[in-house]
Amino acid sequence: MPAGSWRNYLAERSFYDLSVHSVPDGINTADELVSMAKHLGFAGVGLSNHSTAEGPLKSNGVEVFDIFRTIELVASNPSKLHGLVGKYRNKVDVLAVHGGDEGINRAALENSNVDVLLHPSTPKGSGLNHVLARSASENNVAIGFDIDSLIMSRGGRRVHSLSHFRDYLALSRKYDVPMLLTSNASSVFGLRAPREIIALAVLFGMDKDEAITALSETPLGIVQKKRHDKNYVCEGVEILEPSLSVQEDE
Amino acid sequence: MKLKVLPPTLRQDRRYFAFELIGGNRTDRSDLLREIFSCASSLVGDKGSSECDIKLLDFEDSKGIVRCLRDRMDMTRAVLASVTSVNGKPVIIHVLGISGTVHGATTKYLEGCTVYSPEEKT
Repeated sequence: MPAGSWRNYLAERSFYDLSVHSVPDGINTADELVSMAKHLGFAGVGLSNHSTAEGPLKSNGVEVFDIFRTIELVASNPSKLHGLVGKYRNKVDVLAVHGGDEGINRAALENSNVDVLLHPSTPKGSGLNHVLARSASENNVAIGFDIDSLIMSRGGRRVHSLSHFRDYLALSRKYDVPMLLTSNASSVFGLRAPREIIALAVLFGMDKDEAITALSETPLGIVQKKRHDKNYVCEGVEILEPSLSVQEDE
Repeated sequence: MKLKVLPPTLRQDRRYFAFELIGGNRTDRSDLLREIFSCASSLVGDKGSSECDIKLLDFEDSKGIVRCLRDRMDMTRAVLASVTSVNGKPVIIHVLGISGTVHGATTKYLEGCTVYSPEEKT
């Protein structure tokens, strides 16, 4: 692809960062984070502070910037996690699970109400294997690649993050698991522009196309999932009500 | 004796990144330079740094230009993204655009651009 058309191709995309922490999780307020994300070229962010935004917000009528309600569930055991998922599913746009424990990772990837699993790495290893990747693919749960573990750490920790990301990438490619790139920022200085995030993703072996999808289509697919519709039952099942015009004909 | 300049066909292709430094008011050029090189050697090592051939050409009023080899644009961008603080102050290096000449990068992306400041916006 020539350089010019590549630039246009990127310019047409809308990028979303679904894991940004505002106060009290992070340091900065929602307004500061949104303003910075807008400046860096994002079309929307998912704020983990669920009390700030009620649905997508529009700013000053001209420029549209989406703010999604995101929650990152932290649970001590799988049954508590399933309880929390049920409690928050209809209240938020993006339901993320904070992994890091083999039981929690498994529970999150086997629950189709979960949107994304973040930080699955355990103290022993990457935290994912072929069995978990297959259930992630079946339940359409995305694997989160948090860029802050690459920019905020150095040395051994960054080496581990990079090698875990390589493992997730290989499993995601093999089993067709959706991948999601997020900044996981806890202050405005943790945010990075979409192209910078793509360049960092290339470092651990992601293709540019994969990285673009992980920053635009995958997050958009998550927030537009049909399950927010009241007629939605589960994947592929939907309640169809007879339309009024049909009833009148009878 | 001065060495003769390489003929154009033998010169390496270079690209020039125009960037703004967010959060780094009154940051010194040498401090930023040291930070970029330290981040480069930490992220891609000495070998990678030498392949990128990163050079900070110009830096004034939180705006500047970084030169790199054309084949290592992504790596250079990743290095710039991995810069998190200068002298303990948190910063972001935000790439505004890439050009094939210093002149292009300056006129297209740096002239008339005001550096974003997180404090002013709120």
